[in-house]
Amino acid sequence: MSELRFEALRHAELAYVNAAFGAGTHVVVGNEGDGTGTLIAVAAGSVQSAAGRVLLDGAAPWSHAATRRRIASLCATEVLLPARNVVTGLALSLRARGDTRSAMSVLDDAGLAFFATKRADALTSREARAIALSFALSHREPSLLALHEPLSAVGIVQEDFLLRTLRLHSDAGAIVLCTACRLEDAARLGGQTSALERGIWIAPAYALPPISTVTLRVHTAEPRRLAARLSEAPDISGVEWAGGHEVLVHGSELERVAQSVVANARAEAIRITALKSDAPPLGALAAARAALAQAYYERSAATGNATRPS
Amino acid sequence: MSGVLTGLALARERLRGIAPPVVLALGLLAVVAAAVLERQSDAASAPDDVLSGAAFGIALPLFAYFVSERACDGKRLDHSVDGVARFGTNRRAALLGVLLASALGSAFCGALLAIFAILGAHAPGSSALLGDLRASVGIAVLAGTVYALYFGAASLFGKRGGGRKWALIIDFIFGAGSSTLATPWPRGHVRNLLGGTPVVELSQTSAWLALVLIGAACVMLSVLRTPE
Repeated sequence: MSELRFEALRHAELAYVNAAFGAGTHVVVGNEGDGTGTLIAVAAGSVQSAAGRVLLDGAAPWSHAATRRRIASLCATEVLLPARNVVTGLALSLRARGDTRSAMSVLDDAGLAFFATKRADALTSREARAIALSFALSHREPSLLALHEPLSAVGIVQEDFLLRTLRLHSDAGAIVLCTACRLEDAARLGGQTSALERGIWIAPAYALPPISTVTLRVHTAEPRRLAARLSEAPDISGVEWAGGHEVLVHGSELERVAQSVVANARAEAIRITALKSDAPPLGALAAARAALAQAYYERSAATGNATRPS
Repeated sequence: MSGVLTGLALARERLRGIAPPVVLALGLLAVVAAAVLERQSDAASAPDDVLSGAAFGIALPLFAYFVSERACDGKRLDHSVDGVARFGTNRRAALLGVLLASALGSAFCGALLAIFAILGAHAPGSSALLGDLRASVGIAVLAGTVYALYFGAASLFGKRGGGRKWALIIDFIFGAGSSTLATPWPRGHVRNLLGGTPVVELSQTSAWLALVLIGAACVMLSVLRTPE
């Protein structure tokens, strides 16, 4: 069974990523500014990470050609290899992969045969990505499919074809790692959802061990931003986000956790719609908050600086 | 082997287009013009002067530089094969293919430069024409090959392959002398083969060997500095 590991990975937007993926479909929610494009490029072995390691079955794709040969990828920006037209460019890509199939059959399978004679430099960026996607999906036995926003090529590539092929590879034991900037796209792709927010990794709920003594369930319209912010907060030992509007926040003391959640949400101007704790009850939390606010007020009043606590 | 062929095919695609033949034609015209002027000035020394000056001294390094630059798509040699390495081709093998393509291209340009320079410098029907052609084409092929390998290896220095530019400048400056400083660069040895001042009193046989060694060192450096 294949395994893809990111170990203390830092590169470009990626601040610190520690994650492991097994066979099956995994969707990372976030946009390019969050580092999703970089994550795919690093996973595919297209770029060397500045720090940390990326390992596919124990080998680094960047420096191991045989490992790269088992990876099918779609990067944020795709440029076809230099050629007179699309079909000759694809033929060169197939040769680079050691694939003996004809380029025309690859285009045919994806329903893109009409691109065959088009000049490679006349393609729009979306068309180039669609052709690169069809090439990635044509891989016979990939260990890893690393695809950046594959659904953005839908319209040129049929969605049915894309999802069916991903499912086939996933069922065959491949790791299908996709990125999506919208939760709806993540739902369409299926599988386990995790996220990147400004380069910070937010693991899916199932991936985190039950470490906390207290847990707060925070509901917000912006769970990724809040989770990213909280993951850096000192009073919080763990943040989990399962893909919905709820973020689970773990810590050792409920008051400190709640204070940290509120303070960080305020600092980021994130609206919290609900705050629930598994135990103790929210009444105790409200009392703690009120007491804390009172303490801040009295202190600022005593120093003559009547500002509200943040 | 398939990686080398993939690199070769990649570089061949990059060397296609209208610009390379146009630049080559203009360069050949300039060399012929220089050769004719040399012949009118001093017919006896014209072949040597034009070969060591305009043809091998200026045009050949510049052509080899442009061929290397274009074959590498203006990037570092190792980064120039990223497009095919991504699909599983061994970078080192692909890099050898790119070096092979640029060496063949430069050798071809060098041979044409030598032929046009000799034809322009010799009077029609000259008895030395064939002998000069044979000798200078051989030197041109080796010099073109070594220059291509030299520029390819040099491009591995600098973030965007700026080492290639420095290699051209260094070859012009240090290679022009005949001291030990001129030993690692191709220019002095090519001049020696053409009958000019030798580098550190090396014989012409040693100059052949020195060029082969420079080329081999460049290939080794390129391979060793590139990950699989």
